[in-house]
Amino acid sequence: MKKVKIALMALVLVLLIAFPLFDSNLYHQQLMNQVFVNIIVVMGLNFITGLTGQMNLGTAGIFALGAYGSALMCTKLGTPVWLGFPIAIVIGFLIGRGLGYPSLRVKGVYLSLTTIGFSEVVRLILTNAIDFTGGSQGVQNIPFLNLFGFEFNTPFKIYYLYFALTIIMAIAAARIVSSKWGRVFKAIRDNSDAVEACGIDVANLKILAFTMAAVYGCIGGFLYTHMMGYINPTAFNQDLSVNYLVMMMIGGIGSVAGNVLGAVMVTLLPEILRFMQNYYWLIFSIITLIFAVFLPYGIVSLFKKSERQERHFDIFHSIKKAREIWGGRIAK
Amino acid sequence: MLKINKIDVFYGKVQALFDVSMEINDKEIVSIIGANGAGKSTLMKAIAGLNKASSGTIEFMGEEIGNVRAHKIVHRGIVYVPEGREVFPEMSVLENLEMGAFNRKFSKAELNKNIEESYALFPRLKERSKQLAGTLSGGEQQMLAICRGMMSDPKLIMFDEPSLGLAPVTVSEMFDAIVKIHEVRKIPVIIVEQNAFMAMSISDRTYVMEVGHMVQCGNSQELLNSPTIKKAYLGG
Repeated sequence: MKKVKIALMALVLVLLIAFPLFDSNLYHQQLMNQVFVNIIVVMGLNFITGLTGQMNLGTAGIFALGAYGSALMCTKLGTPVWLGFPIAIVIGFLIGRGLGYPSLRVKGVYLSLTTIGFSEVVRLILTNAIDFTGGSQGVQNIPFLNLFGFEFNTPFKIYYLYFALTIIMAIAAARIVSSKWGRVFKAIRDNSDAVEACGIDVANLKILAFTMAAVYGCIGGFLYTHMMGYINPTAFNQDLSVNYLVMMMIGGIGSVAGNVLGAVMVTLLPEILRFMQNYYWLIFSIITLIFAVFLPYGIVSLFKKSERQERHFDIFHSIKKAREIWGGRIAK
Repeated sequence: MLKINKIDVFYGKVQALFDVSMEINDKEIVSIIGANGAGKSTLMKAIAGLNKASSGTIEFMGEEIGNVRAHKIVHRGIVYVPEGREVFPEMSVLENLEMGAFNRKFSKAELNKNIEESYALFPRLKERSKQLAGTLSGGEQQMLAICRGMMSDPKLIMFDEPSLGLAPVTVSEMFDAIVKIHEVRKIPVIIVEQNAFMAMSISDRTYVMEVGHMVQCGNSQELLNSPTIKKAYLGG
């Protein structure tokens, strides 16, 4: 079984490496780059919402700050583009601490509320501080990434850079998920009182999870900025935050492989469905709903053949379980 | 070892403990009995740092711990096994045990030694070490909760209602285990119980609580024979 898994992963890897060589359509390549960015953001969201069970509805704000931070540095101050990467990490860290500290020290839905507020505040500031951010015109002529004089100025070049980065960040995320930390995150979701009784500082770990989510989100924003070359605040609205949640849910809560699958599906499926013209978003929503009902543990649960997962094909059990998961999550 | 001196605890504006004092000496089992709402669990939580006393002091090994946060209190060696089998349902038995040692920097060997000790105490947990804790029976979950509490090598352990909702056979198994833990580890144990007879029969001393007040305390054997206790808690 393990060999099959490795072989399958190797095959996917080869296909992904070969993809831009055979498909020279720039739009397709750009889409794949968007997939990579989304994968990174969703893997971050997974730490706080997927594992720790604290609803984060401010991914758009985090993503926007990562994107604008780097974009403004490059265009206004003329700093080298790569500097945006450490800057994104610092911004992520500050958001995680600054927002996590007041909202995660107490139990309850405070994180959802503060993150929604935060995300809207960010969007409104970006829209209205016209002198500084360009307002709703956005920031134009953002330079492409370059490393040692090599400029990543076509979707083809960006593809390989982002692909490599995504793999590195996925490995890091997978290590964290299966580490001591990852286990405690899950424990906090399942039973935070018992975690407290084990002598673990629950608040601190929740803030840690949120900080990691923010760092991943800001890195995603940074990559997005230098791929698009142009950003404006309208993209970073509440829909974007929800979209990332949907990716995480569809793919599989708590699992890095699930995050990847979810990001791929939610990014690409609407594009595949575009031939339906006016109805494509309707069809996409229906498909999403079907996934949520029949696979509450996400696409990834299709590949896990334990007894626990198999039971979820039973529809009544699925609905019950979904209620439990989402009901519990909101209640916490 | 543990000295509680005249503490008051409030939930919002409602006072739950009035002027409660108690003392636990090295190597003794102490039971706290009382009806529902007497404040037994509140007292446990105050010791564990989950509730804060608004006045009075809690001293552990000569140090004031009344203002120490809950997770730090575990570091100091007081472990609280909460009521209602608070295990991690989506983790295996082994992972649950490892969680208990999370705050200690154990070597692999020390960790394994503690795990083996738990399995020796409850062999049934060993059979199910790979099974998810959520699929265990109520009694097994309680066993797991007890063992998880023992994983961090506590200096004092408190059990909140270990017999809650268990079959009579399992209840006596649980109390046997508590006595065994006490004998092997040589640490003081506090048991909070509705099942007054059981708790008193294994403990050295007993405290009796009524609506937030500590009303009586004494040798368990003597209290077992006292007519008032018999009438109030042992069914005549």
